Amino acid sequence: MIPKIAIEAVTIRYAGRAGAGEVVAVEGVDLRVQEGEFVCLVGPSGCGKTTLLRAVAGLQPVSKGTIQVTRSDPSRPATAMVFQGAAVFPWMTVLENVDYGLRTRGMPYAERTAEAQRWIRQVKLERFAEAYPHQLSGGMQQRVGLARAFAYNPEILLMDEPFGALDAQTRLILQDTLLELWQTSGCTILFVTHSIDEALTLGDRVVIMSARPGRIMGEERVSLARPREAVQLRSDPHYGEAFGRIWSQLREEVR
Amino acid sequence: MRLNRRWISVLSPLILVLVWEMLVQAGVLNRRFFPQPTKVIETLIDLSSTGTLWNELGISALRITVGFLIGSLIGISLGLLIGISQTASAALRPIITAINPIPKIALIPFVVLALGFTEWARVLSLAISVMPIMLLDTAAAVGRIDSRYFEVAQNYGASRWDTFWTVALPASLPSIMNSVKLGLSYSLTLIIGVELFGARQGIGKLIWDSASLYAVNKLGAGIVAIALTGWLITAAIDALTPSLIPWQPRPVDPRIEESPIQRQIRVWWRATRPWSFTAATIPAVLGTMIAAYQGHFNLLHGVLVMVGSIALQAGTNLINDFYDYRKGTDNEQSLGIGGAIQRKDLTPRQIFLGGISAFAVGSGIGLYLVSVSGPLILILGILSVLAGFFYTAGPAALAYTGLGEITVFIFMGPVIVVGAYYVQAGAVGWDVFWASLPIAFLVAAILHANNLRDMETDRRIGKRTLAIILGRKYANIEYYVLVGGTYAALIVTVILGISPLYTLITLITLPTAVNLMRRVVLNTEPAALNPVLRKTAQLHQRFGMLLVGGWVIALCLKLLSGN
Ligand SMILES: Nc1ncnc2c1ncn2[C@@H]1O[C@H](COP(=O)(O)OP(=O)(O)OP(=O)(O)O)[C@@H](O)[C@H]1O
Ligand SMILES: [Mg+2]
Repeated sequence: MIPKIAIEAVTIRYAGRAGAGEVVAVEGVDLRVQEGEFVCLVGPSGCGKTTLLRAVAGLQPVSKGTIQVTRSDPSRPATAMVFQGAAVFPWMTVLENVDYGLRTRGMPYAERTAEAQRWIRQVKLERFAEAYPHQLSGGMQQRVGLARAFAYNPEILLMDEPFGALDAQTRLILQDTLLELWQTSGCTILFVTHSIDEALTLGDRVVIMSARPGRIMGEERVSLARPREAVQLRSDPHYGEAFGRIWSQLREEVR
Repeated sequence: MRLNRRWISVLSPLILVLVWEMLVQAGVLNRRFFPQPTKVIETLIDLSSTGTLWNELGISALRITVGFLIGSLIGISLGLLIGISQTASAALRPIITAINPIPKIALIPFVVLALGFTEWARVLSLAISVMPIMLLDTAAAVGRIDSRYFEVAQNYGASRWDTFWTVALPASLPSIMNSVKLGLSYSLTLIIGVELFGARQGIGKLIWDSASLYAVNKLGAGIVAIALTGWLITAAIDALTPSLIPWQPRPVDPRIEESPIQRQIRVWWRATRPWSFTAATIPAVLGTMIAAYQGHFNLLHGVLVMVGSIALQAGTNLINDFYDYRKGTDNEQSLGIGGAIQRKDLTPRQIFLGGISAFAVGSGIGLYLVSVSGPLILILGILSVLAGFFYTAGPAALAYTGLGEITVFIFMGPVIVVGAYYVQAGAVGWDVFWASLPIAFLVAAILHANNLRDMETDRRIGKRTLAIILGRKYANIEYYVLVGGTYAALIVTVILGISPLYTLITLITLPTAVNLMRRVVLNTEPAALNPVLRKTAQLHQRFGMLLVGGWVIALCLKLLSGN
């Protein structure tokens, strides 16, 4: 089977500025993600997770190796990235932000407004549809960024610590929303997180990266049954074992 | 302490002027070279009452407008282009960087050599001087945009064109507004130099003439006038900025330090609903521009009509607050409108008296205008005051009988435009009436959007707006008619040769208008219609400014080709 995303021997370097030398962000990364799979990426800060995601999104050229994305539904856009730290447009209202991807796709006005409003309700921002980002909290802005990506309905969602700035309850609710979306829309998700808990709650597979230059150190197939309930999971013996294996690999790197 | 410091900053310039005055009077400063403050003020009053000052300022303002428009439009467009395209940057930047440090005044003789002592030479000198600064500022502003936003656009498959409109332009708009402000002040300095070259009129010309005649007080008056103009322009741009850049967080006003007088001013200012004043200013400015286009410009009278209309509108708003409160239509939910009574900022009686005073001010200005123009103003004025008062007052309040739209249509459209025209031209024809119709439709649309939003609550309390009489379906159609009528009226007047071709630039707002019409059908809930109301008001503002802009362009081209 052709993988949805095929990352082969990818190395990404940032040319150094005067004074600072060049930085090798990721080195020799091989990663395959199957169609419909939910893969979580964990690794120490600065190990190149964002860089790798940006490369898959086509926002960052690779220095060596190849990244291939296989399309299966030409009516949907290939990828959308949810940026670390929201990156919503300050000059657009919440509605206009969420509407953005639909607008560039040329969807008719009535349709896209309805669609955008639906997603705004999903992230519980209906009272703020006409507000500008500066009137929202950081977590609310993050939710706008999520709704914007969800509304775009891409084949592949690239999510860079999307729930980082949220409180525990909202995070749980949005994790559910995400899983629901993933199941109904059949998209493929590559999800960066710092939280092993989150990775185990969401993913089919957890990929572990080493400290810079980032390499793939190992992976953990998550055999926990779906639908997963955050509270019940914690008491599942598989959960504890998986957590332990991931943590023991990561601990070496964080040091 | 705080209060003391405030007094100091008021007193220190006053003391300086006073000392100056005394030194001149005592003969320590030679009267031949030093203006005397009291004489300067006297001259200023004299010049403005004979109309000289307004004429000279008007001509200079015109040159600045055209010159600045040409220079800044080219500058901003090229700046944006350089900002987003590496190729354009490589091609243009070295040239601009080389030109920019040249003192612009030094270029004027070249332009004069090429074009002679013509109006075009003066205007182009201004344009050439302003262009490089605007260009470099704009390019720098685009360069400062966080690259993440361009990535987001790319991520969502935005085309270059999309990226330009949705990222580059809005993100650099705040800086561009700032450069516009600086550029305009700079143009005021330049105009003095420009008018040295063979101009027969203008404030700069007045200054140079006074200097050569040793008329130091007149010279001083000219300088004060130009300084005041500069201050006014800056204040006007500052006032407009929030509506052009609504996404910018506004500085929270430090209420803690507010003195009782400041509080009174703020409370009253807010109670008059200043954000609605564009409904009165736009037709006044439009009437003035039509008059100017037809060769009857009188800045003072134009300004007076504008101030008078604003006063009447403030009065209407206050009286409306009073009667709505009395009739119990304003409850907690509709607090958004005026609400000074509900907030206990002012008592109903104060609001009522305030409204009457505003009407008195408006009427006073009106009476003065009657004395200098003619009886038509008397009729229009009396009708306006009555309409304003009975809009919500009395048993047959216009707003509650389905006559709201038509009242607003007439009084915030043709009446002000015709009035503004008449006080400057001394006579008026039907063409002015027709030319006023587009904004009349649009201002009625604002009110109708308001009534559409409030349909449910209005029905409950027994208000019978036109929307309620018509029912949801036909009320939606009414919205189409009003917004559609705006553009139809404009196109018809252009075809008939009443409005100049350039007023068609208003058509760039058409997509927004179509969007609004679609939104109206899609939504019935007040929460969803609230933005429609806000955006209709915004559309009126933008359409109005563009319409005026169209007339200004036509006027400028006519004047330039005339000389
Ligand atoms: N634009 C850039 N220019 C130069 N170096 C960069 C650039 N962006 C990232 N880097 C370097 O590349 C490395 C990887 O960065 P990246 O942002 O991909 O890390 P990350 O894994 O996403 O970290 P975090 O978890 O903290 O978000 C870092 O060491 C950083 O210094
Ligand atoms: Mg990162």
